[in-house]
Amino acid sequence: MTEYKEKTPTINNLSAADQSMVKSGLSRGVSRRAVMGWLMAGGATVAAAGSIVSSASKAVAATPQKGGTIKFASDVHGPSDTLDPGLNTSTIDYSRGRAHYNGLVQFNDDTSVRPELAEEFSANGDNTEWTFKLRKGVRFHDGSGLTADDVMYSMGRHYGDKSTSTAKTLVADVAEWVKVDEFTVKAVMSGPNGDLPKILATSQFKIIKDGTTDFQNPMGTGPFKLADYQPGVRSLHTRNEDYWRDGPNADTLEIFAITDKVARTSALLSGDIDLMQALDPKAIPQIESAPGVGIWSVASGAYIGIAIMGNTEPGNNPDFVLAMKYIQRREKIVRSILKGQGTVGNDNPINVAYGEDFCSDLPIRAHDLDKAKFHLKKSGITEATIQVAEVAPGTTDVVLLMQREAQKIGLKLNINKVPNDGYWGAVWMKTPMNVTTWNMRPTANVMMNLAFAPDAPWNDSLWSNERMGQLLVESRAVTDPALRHEMYCEMQTLISNESGMIIPAHRNYLDAKSDSIEGIGRMPLGSLGGYEWPEFAYRTDL
Amino acid sequence: MTDATANTEETTIYDELPDAPPKKKLTLTWVGKLGVTVVVFWLVMVFVGPYIAPFHEADIIAYDSYMPILSTTEGEGFHLLGTDYIERDLFSRILWGARTTIGIAFTATLLAYLVGVSLGIAAAVAGGWVDVSLSRVNDAIISLPSIMLGLLAVNAFGSSIPTLIMTAGAIYAASVFRIARALGQDIMVMDFVEAARVRGESMRWIIFREVLPNAAMPLATDFGLRLVFVVLFISSLSFLGLGIQPPMADWGSMVRQNLDGLGYGSYAAVWPALAIATFTISINLIVDDISASSGGSLAKKMI
Amino acid sequence: MQRMVFQRIIIGIVTLWVVSILVFVGTSILPGDVAEIVLGQTATPESLAAYRAERGLDQPMYMQYASWLGGMFTGDLGTSKAGGASIASLIGGRFGNTMLLAGVVALISVPMSIVLGLLAAMYPGTWIDRILTFGTLSLISVPEFFIATFMVLIFAVNLNWLPAIAHMSPEDSFWQTIGGMAMPLITLIIVVAAQMIRMTRAGILNVMNSPYIEMAILKGVRRKRIILRHAFYNAIGPIVNVVALNLAYLVSGVVIVETIFAYPGLAKLMIDGVQTRDLPLVQACAMIFCGTYVILIIMADVAAILSNPRLRNPK
Repeated sequence: MTEYKEKTPTINNLSAADQSMVKSGLSRGVSRRAVMGWLMAGGATVAAAGSIVSSASKAVAATPQKGGTIKFASDVHGPSDTLDPGLNTSTIDYSRGRAHYNGLVQFNDDTSVRPELAEEFSANGDNTEWTFKLRKGVRFHDGSGLTADDVMYSMGRHYGDKSTSTAKTLVADVAEWVKVDEFTVKAVMSGPNGDLPKILATSQFKIIKDGTTDFQNPMGTGPFKLADYQPGVRSLHTRNEDYWRDGPNADTLEIFAITDKVARTSALLSGDIDLMQALDPKAIPQIESAPGVGIWSVASGAYIGIAIMGNTEPGNNPDFVLAMKYIQRREKIVRSILKGQGTVGNDNPINVAYGEDFCSDLPIRAHDLDKAKFHLKKSGITEATIQVAEVAPGTTDVVLLMQREAQKIGLKLNINKVPNDGYWGAVWMKTPMNVTTWNMRPTANVMMNLAFAPDAPWNDSLWSNERMGQLLVESRAVTDPALRHEMYCEMQTLISNESGMIIPAHRNYLDAKSDSIEGIGRMPLGSLGGYEWPEFAYRTDL
Repeated sequence: MTDATANTEETTIYDELPDAPPKKKLTLTWVGKLGVTVVVFWLVMVFVGPYIAPFHEADIIAYDSYMPILSTTEGEGFHLLGTDYIERDLFSRILWGARTTIGIAFTATLLAYLVGVSLGIAAAVAGGWVDVSLSRVNDAIISLPSIMLGLLAVNAFGSSIPTLIMTAGAIYAASVFRIARALGQDIMVMDFVEAARVRGESMRWIIFREVLPNAAMPLATDFGLRLVFVVLFISSLSFLGLGIQPPMADWGSMVRQNLDGLGYGSYAAVWPALAIATFTISINLIVDDISASSGGSLAKKMI
Repeated sequence: MQRMVFQRIIIGIVTLWVVSILVFVGTSILPGDVAEIVLGQTATPESLAAYRAERGLDQPMYMQYASWLGGMFTGDLGTSKAGGASIASLIGGRFGNTMLLAGVVALISVPMSIVLGLLAAMYPGTWIDRILTFGTLSLISVPEFFIATFMVLIFAVNLNWLPAIAHMSPEDSFWQTIGGMAMPLITLIIVVAAQMIRMTRAGILNVMNSPYIEMAILKGVRRKRIILRHAFYNAIGPIVNVVALNLAYLVSGVVIVETIFAYPGLAKLMIDGVQTRDLPLVQACAMIFCGTYVILIIMADVAAILSNPRLRNPK
């Protein structure tokens, strides 16, 4: 896993006297700017002074401090903002959800899970039944106690004809939720699935109060209460004094979005916000050269993909697809477009971020114009059109690079840039060649099952491989690590060689924060440590 | 009073009635000449730019993004204005962009004028229900923000160049209509138009000999501004992630795409902004000189 | 006169109705619907159907329009099809913000532009005129996002004098609000003043060209008197038109400034509405924008008629 490393100069580079001066200054509450002034008067550059002060602040603030306001700016918001966990699709929704609600279980940084509202959870021998024992004494923001009914209601919203949940397919293999007693619920599976807790740790499965239908002011059990909620403007969250565990660190969270990426970066640099989601990779040097702020980059399995649909021209021609795979300049995409904040893709949705399930034995497909030319000639195709929307940062640039390479092998690749809104409904999976993106999923199996199973509703290249489907189901029940790895490798080889999905790169979640905010995790399933920050982030400059 | 005197008097009245203002000879000041030079330069670039540019507009060849001016990529070439956000030669893209930007702006503005002026003058001259119905439809279009109409058009019909031209043309025709109609109405009640009517001139004669020449100058001033607005309209679509299809170079989109470079000292957004500025300012300087050499000359007498 | 204003108001209501039809048709032909956009990539046919049923999107389009129109007559703007919030609550605060921004910009830019335009027209070809011309042209010929971003980099990032965003939190003090609004104000003044200055100048110079002004000059009327009493008076028609259009733009068209400064206003709300295909929301914004525009042009026309006696009694 590549992780962003701290800039070199730290407090330890200073002489002992200087160290104590900086540290005591900071602990006395001297402003960062003033301390930097001292250092710069001593000849340090802005960047060096900034990183020295950062490291010093960290040393001073060893334990989380309570209090203060944290302002977070996401990249998208609007009237479609929602506090309904089942409809959450954007970072701002996930972040608000994390502040307002709890799940049954929650993620650790390594994507394993730990108990949250369920103080205990366990499976029967073959993973066909999962039992969750609820914590007692947990209260919703209106004072009512959490019981199994609330969990039954929350889970029930993901089933049936009237469910609008965006995550219902993830829990479709739970045949039935059973209320065992006032504080115990059981999920009866239709087949073995050891990953259910990880699925339940995702944002859509947060626990809401039984009977909630109005999501303008819903009741949750989370670390913050809702003080102000204006969709598309902002939300204000104040500390929940009755929180069931050692409460949140900040007193107040202000969550909103600055949709213009340049303005968002400026707002962080000027100190108007403390945390920002979705830093443009191009702005990395700007952040790095500025005092008091830093990037927060977490390697992940999220990917940018080019889907060539297998059911029609030109994607039904395997030689064309291979030619498109050979023209990808994977290293250049990571270096130039992602500015190093990503990993090379191998037309395989699984990368090193998925840990042991990643098939590292599979050699990376090299940029090879001769092979590409050969396959293109064999396919007889000379012109194609790709639909592009900026579905993830850098998507358009990846396609622009591809277009130039295509020209070198004699293919006229037309780009049709379309608006982002409506893309998923009207263009994706409906046109022969288009772009796609997926966030990282909790497990390799969940990811491949979503987008590469023969019957998956979101199999974006319409690649149907029976063997793949078989392996996906069988591997869930395998416990022998060697056999499991072999099966996962076979699946990834199949996808990489045969599917119509081109995955040139995996992107890091690249965000940025003020140096005076600590406690941000590194969970790789979403921005800013998988949206886990609201409860744990704290200010070091109080 | 005899018939004879009455006749004489009538002739005298005709003589004293004001006629349309006489045409004046167009002379350009040095500022106007400078404007002409710059505009001619860019117009030449519209045709030859792509042939003299060192690189193709879509070439991603440079060693790095946001290279400073006068830098070199080993084995590829020299970047006079540096490189853009995705390692393309900025100078080449500005030369290529002249064709797209100026082409679209001129075509769309001309379209807007063709439609807007003819309908606006028609409404002013005809009056009555023609005026009322044209004005209402026009009001409906103009009361909606142009960027929203652009968003609707691009979403519905895609962002091909003809779509963009038609969209910008239609949106600005509405503004031109209002101005043309207001000018037309003012001119229609002026003495010389009344005189022409009394003389029994045809409506066609009045429109082409009296109304249009008198509305020409403010309309010309507006034409210059409208051209700027079309360029800015296309670039504001790029702000929403729409606009000209990549990798085609367009000055407005180039400013937008390279804007983040400003934050750490790259001028990649400044050069296309300068290109827009030189072109649009020059057009307007020429327009100013034309108006000064007609109306301004009189005003000058008074200083 | 009163009769004319009354007629105009009736006509304005007709215009509002025409706009609602345009918006309805325009939004209907867009690809995708609000359900597909809200549920996004991970929508399934079943969840889409459920969402449409829940929000009444499964009714035919004309029925949705009819129910919206019915609501309008009873003063009910409906609820957002995207987030479920009431449209009135979405518009509430933003309406005030938009009017505040537009009002302050208008108060500063309109008198300033008319004075500067008059100045340029009084002394055409002189250095005052040249500086004004060159200055206004330079400022309007760069995209407003360039001006706004450039100012943010200087005044917020480098100098740290002003906040980079103006998102109008109720907790902000008066001075914080003023500071936050400074850059959006300046950006917008630059954008609208330039056009008004140029059109004022052109309008007056055009009148200076008329024979009766020439007559006045020959009669020896003083220069200032000619421009201020005769030329300006006669140029008011076109000038108020341009002013009205620019004021309407300040209410409805400032989406870029609202986006860059995270200023919660109506222009961005309408764009968001279009992007999520949220018909009732788009309609509500369109009604506000069109209503503002109608009022402004009625005022412009009244001003034009009052200033030109010959328009008062057309033959």
